Amino acid sequence: MSSLSELHLDALAEVFSIGAGRAALSLSEIVGDEVRISVPSVQIINSEDINSATLSLNNGRFGAVNQHFRGPFNAEAVLLFTEDQALKIVGDMMGSQMSIDELAEFEHEAMCELGNIILNACLSAMADIFSFTLESSLPDYAVASADEILHRLKENSTQPYIMVLHIDLTIEKRHTAGNLVFLLSSASLDNLVSHLDQFLGNIT
Amino acid sequence: MDSPIKKLLIVDDSKVSRMLIRSHILARRPEWIISEAACGEEAIALIDNDLPDYCTMDINMPGISGTDAAERMLSKYPSIKIVIFSANIQETHQERARLLGTILVAKPVTEKSITLALNCFSDSK
Repeated sequence: MSSLSELHLDALAEVFSIGAGRAALSLSEIVGDEVRISVPSVQIINSEDINSATLSLNNGRFGAVNQHFRGPFNAEAVLLFTEDQALKIVGDMMGSQMSIDELAEFEHEAMCELGNIILNACLSAMADIFSFTLESSLPDYAVASADEILHRLKENSTQPYIMVLHIDLTIEKRHTAGNLVFLLSSASLDNLVSHLDQFLGNIT
Repeated sequence: MDSPIKKLLIVDDSKVSRMLIRSHILARRPEWIISEAACGEEAIALIDNDLPDYCTMDINMPGISGTDAAERMLSKYPSIKIVIFSANIQETHQERARLLGTILVAKPVTEKSITLALNCFSDSK
C-alpha cells in the first residue's frame, strides 16, 4: 500500500474542505439559508479493517448515494447518511411543508441530487487543484442497513482501499453527520499519491 | 514613503494551505516577513507580541472561527488589514467579511486568489 504522510492527508483534507465549501454554497442557494458543512478528517484504510465504528454506523438504516468517477484514478464514491436525517434535509431542500411520508416519494430523486452536489463538488475541487479531469457516472441511491453496507465494502476485492471523509452537514436547525467513502484500487491509490506528491512538490 | 518590508500573518489550520500562501506571497513579495498560526486563538495571542501589517484568515478552524478571531483582532488592533481566505464562500460569510471592512477571497490558493488578497492589502495603504 502506498504510504500517506501527514502532509498528504493534510493536502487531501484541504482539497475536500474546498469541495465542501462549494457544496455548501450550492446547497445554501437551494435552501436560502446558511449551510454548515465540514470535513474534519480524512482516513485511508484497508477495506478488511473497516467496521461500523470507522463509519460511525449504528443500527439504523442508511441512505447511500453511489457514483463512479473515472480519470487519472478511478473511484467508486458512496455518500452515506442516516435515512431519517437525510429525509429531513431533503425536506429543507424542497422548501415545502410535506410530511415525511410524502417526502419518501421524492426520496430517490432528491437524495441523488443531494449526493450529486456533494460528490461532484468534492471531486471537482480535487480535479481543479490537481489539474486533471474526472468523469462521473449518474448517481444511484439505495437504502441499506449498516451490515449490508459493511459487507459490500469488505467484499470488493478489486478496490481494497477505502478513503473515508467524515462530513457534518447542518441546514437551518437540522444537523446530520454523513460519511463520504471512496473505494480505490491499489493502482488508483498509487496514482492519487503521485498526484499529491506532484502537488506538494510544486510548493517551493 | 512606506517601507516595502511588511509583516504578514497567515492563519490556517492546514499546513499545506499555509505553505501554499507563504510560497505564493514570497514569490511576489520576497522581502515580506511571514509568520503563521494554526488557529484563531494562537493568532490572537501572537499579535500581542508581534503586530503584523497584514493577515490572511481561514474561517473553518478548530476553536473559534476565523471571522470571530478577525473581529477580536481588529477591535484591539484596527490597523491590521485582514483578508478572509476561505473555502466557505456562502453569502453569510461574505457579508460578515464586508461588515469587518474586508473581503472574502475564495480558496483554492492560486496566483489569482493571491492577487485579490494583495490588491486588498495595497488598497488599504
